[in-house]
Amino acid sequence: MRLYKFVASLAITLALVYGLDHRWEVGGSPIPPLGRFLDPFQGFWHNLEPAAPHREASLSIPGLQAAVTVSFDSLNIPHIFAPDEASLYFAQGYITAQSRLWQMEFQTHAAAGRVSEITGPGPQNAVLDYDRGQRRLGLVFGAVKAQQAFEGNPQTRAMVEQYTAGINAYIQSLHYADLPFEYKLLHYAPEPWSNFKCALLLKSMAQSLNLDDKDMEMTTALKAFGLDNVELLYPDREAVSDPIVDKPGGWKFNPVTLDSVPSALPPELIGIKKLPHADPTTGSNNWAVSGSKTASGAPLLCSDPHLNLSLPSLWYCIQLSAPGVNTLGASLPGAPGVIIGCNDSVAWGETNAQRDLEDWFKITFQDKTHAKYMLDGNWVDTKKVVESFKVRGTEVFYDTVLYTHWGPVTYDETYHPESNQKYYAFRWISHDASNEFLAFYKLNRAHNYADYMAALDHYEAPAQNFVFASTAGDIAMRVQGKYPVRRALEGKFVMDGTRSANGWQAFIPFDQNVMDKNPARGFVSSANQIPADATYPYYITGNSFEAYRNRRINTLLAGMQHVTPADMMKMQTDNFNMPASEGLPYFLKALDSMKLSPTEKKARDLLASWNFINDKTSEGASYFECWFDHLTPMLWDEMTRIAISYPTTYQTLYLLKQNPALPFFDIQGTPEKETAKEVLQKAFVKSVAYVEAWKKEHGSARVDWGDYKDGYVGHIMRVPALGVHVKAGGNHDIINAHSRTHGPSWRMITSLEKSGVKMWGIYPGGQSGNPGSAHFKDMLQPWVDGQYFPIPFLRSSATQDQAISFTTQLNPVQP
Amino acid sequence: MKFITQVVAIVVAAYIAQLFFPWYSLAVAAFAMGYFFKSKANFLAGFIAIGLLWFVKAWWTDAVAASDLSARVAEILMLNNKLLLMLLTAFLGGLVGGFAALTGSLLRYERKMKYY
Repeated sequence: MRLYKFVASLAITLALVYGLDHRWEVGGSPIPPLGRFLDPFQGFWHNLEPAAPHREASLSIPGLQAAVTVSFDSLNIPHIFAPDEASLYFAQGYITAQSRLWQMEFQTHAAAGRVSEITGPGPQNAVLDYDRGQRRLGLVFGAVKAQQAFEGNPQTRAMVEQYTAGINAYIQSLHYADLPFEYKLLHYAPEPWSNFKCALLLKSMAQSLNLDDKDMEMTTALKAFGLDNVELLYPDREAVSDPIVDKPGGWKFNPVTLDSVPSALPPELIGIKKLPHADPTTGSNNWAVSGSKTASGAPLLCSDPHLNLSLPSLWYCIQLSAPGVNTLGASLPGAPGVIIGCNDSVAWGETNAQRDLEDWFKITFQDKTHAKYMLDGNWVDTKKVVESFKVRGTEVFYDTVLYTHWGPVTYDETYHPESNQKYYAFRWISHDASNEFLAFYKLNRAHNYADYMAALDHYEAPAQNFVFASTAGDIAMRVQGKYPVRRALEGKFVMDGTRSANGWQAFIPFDQNVMDKNPARGFVSSANQIPADATYPYYITGNSFEAYRNRRINTLLAGMQHVTPADMMKMQTDNFNMPASEGLPYFLKALDSMKLSPTEKKARDLLASWNFINDKTSEGASYFECWFDHLTPMLWDEMTRIAISYPTTYQTLYLLKQNPALPFFDIQGTPEKETAKEVLQKAFVKSVAYVEAWKKEHGSARVDWGDYKDGYVGHIMRVPALGVHVKAGGNHDIINAHSRTHGPSWRMITSLEKSGVKMWGIYPGGQSGNPGSAHFKDMLQPWVDGQYFPIPFLRSSATQDQAISFTTQLNPVQP
Repeated sequence: MKFITQVVAIVVAAYIAQLFFPWYSLAVAAFAMGYFFKSKANFLAGFIAIGLLWFVKAWWTDAVAASDLSARVAEILMLNNKLLLMLLTAFLGGLVGGFAALTGSLLRYERKMKYY
């Protein structure tokens, strides 16, 4: 009896330990191993840091070649001082991993289509579907080539290898207790970092910036509406001023021309449920003001890239110093060097160039085996690549991807087969080998304008507008990327893939790219608008070009003198709603007062007295945005039915004013014929009802814009409990481009003073990737409030700066 | 008295074990102390000892923490607040501690001697 009791008790104990040390799935939701996870000694509780956590004054790190000093300031920004480049990049890898390891690995897993390894296939296989899409878009295919490119250059090879070694030294030092929170929650462990993961990170950035093509949608629009209407609704060049470089007739070079005939316009309707693409409101601002317009006489350079706002933050602020380099700014966890920042002599920043650098080619296979396809009159062999997915909790999933002359066939009968059984191959500039790390390596070390130009000659994709300023007083802008020379309308629609001549024949020589230096107006700027005036001799098509932030920026800068950094801070957080200022007076005039209810009249009066400022406490902003958001689906109901994007805000307002009787404005399915006026009225009534319902639901008498917009900074693991709601002003098409989930992901201002370059900056999050750290989101609320922090730029490791709160020494392990 | 000694012994042994070994080392500690300091209520001793240890450790960690992570984890695990999370932590630890201590005590054969 006693033995039975003992055995039973032992069995229960072992079963408990087993059960609490394993991950379970209940009704499709994963549950972490609760004993392990909740253990207050080593489980997630261990990730809760006190305000001033204990840190080692020195660390011995195997693989490090020389001693490195790292000083952390009050924001936990590391300032790394190394005696040589190898130790510098090793330390960057180590220190970045210390703060952001989980994020670094997760982002590269996402790029490589490996998320299902961590999470399982997801509801309705959604995660696996995402992973397959990543492979089928050729991200891994492109990353392999990028790796070959940076490993082919001795400087970038050494830089990436040391960075990788630093990350791995950190990973090897970890025990379960030290693992980042997310590993514990999802119950897995980090794998070794590799050079290839750095390449994947580049492709992941290219994807979020450059993968927003409309070729298929425009093809469908062409079939449904005809070419005239496509050009009316989706023009390549909208009737708006302020391109990045405006010098009509000033393009003095002989452009490359192509003799071959462009592809015929495609005749089909494409019903593909497309993979999620880059958010069209993703954009950025940058500008530089010449010393002739600033109070100090030194140029000012400002840069604020707008991206999906997430936690851990996209950017990691860092200073990197070694003989030959001293650079400070925003880095991408997973990539060596500084991406947006300054050094002793120059500063730079990027906005997205928005150019169309991806095309789709229709493939004609010989038969159902897909073994051969037609190219220039011959049947050519298809390359079949079998991709495997080690989906967590189930068997390995295999997917065969067909590669052609153009690139991978993304959609076929096994993947999103809604496409009327057509096959489209994907051609993307980021499939080509290029060495962007070399461009940043050189930019980090640039002394002057010539160095900046030489650095950018190594930059190919994704195309960016690089703003520049130097202590020598130069300011410049260069719309840099590798752009195919396009024939008229080429790239706007899907193309016939049976002729190689339909593809990219030549690229615009880099010295013919759009650029400008020290213009007479005293500033350069870019905000994702069209790059050049209509006399630039190459055909330009893009996914969408900005038409408001650019004009607002240029108007403000043109009107300024004696500009100070404080003026620039005010400008980066400017909430003036230009679309509203141009559209609302027209909207209000269209309203028929006789038909309005008392509540609607009140809303109209409120809008009539609104100052067009999208501050967080503005009610006018809420009413206007709600009206506009109700208006567009009613105006463009024809687009909703065939699942294509609406015309841009600019084109919508333009057509409303220019052509109020446009047949598209008529709402389908109503007996009467609506013009702009009637649709505006209907949308207004709907939107006021919507706002009233919102107020009721929120028990609020007011509808403040910050509450109504309900800004959200989500955790990249998409666990709602880890996200943060913020009440902030701004919106898309406003300089402070903070829409609900996207916005200025790093606001930077630099003053290029000869006595020492100064920087102010902030981003919506914090330096730590640990949700249990005081630095996880310590900059978020100050960011919402429009505050900036001076970022210390130390001359040497011996520089005393009151912001430095802690210094640690990284030492090689003595043999 | 024996009971209290056993509780203290389990707390001390488990605390030391957990500084160096994975969480389930607490079971070995409770098992051993269940054996060496057998009482009349071994399960209860193990449950209270580990439950207390885990609760205090979790509570203290949270009390000095600079973040609200525990409340967010409570939400992820569909608990209303972080106190419930601490209680769940203590309960699960206590359960393992209780059964481990009981198992240890059951291994010990005690001759029933009568001295009177």
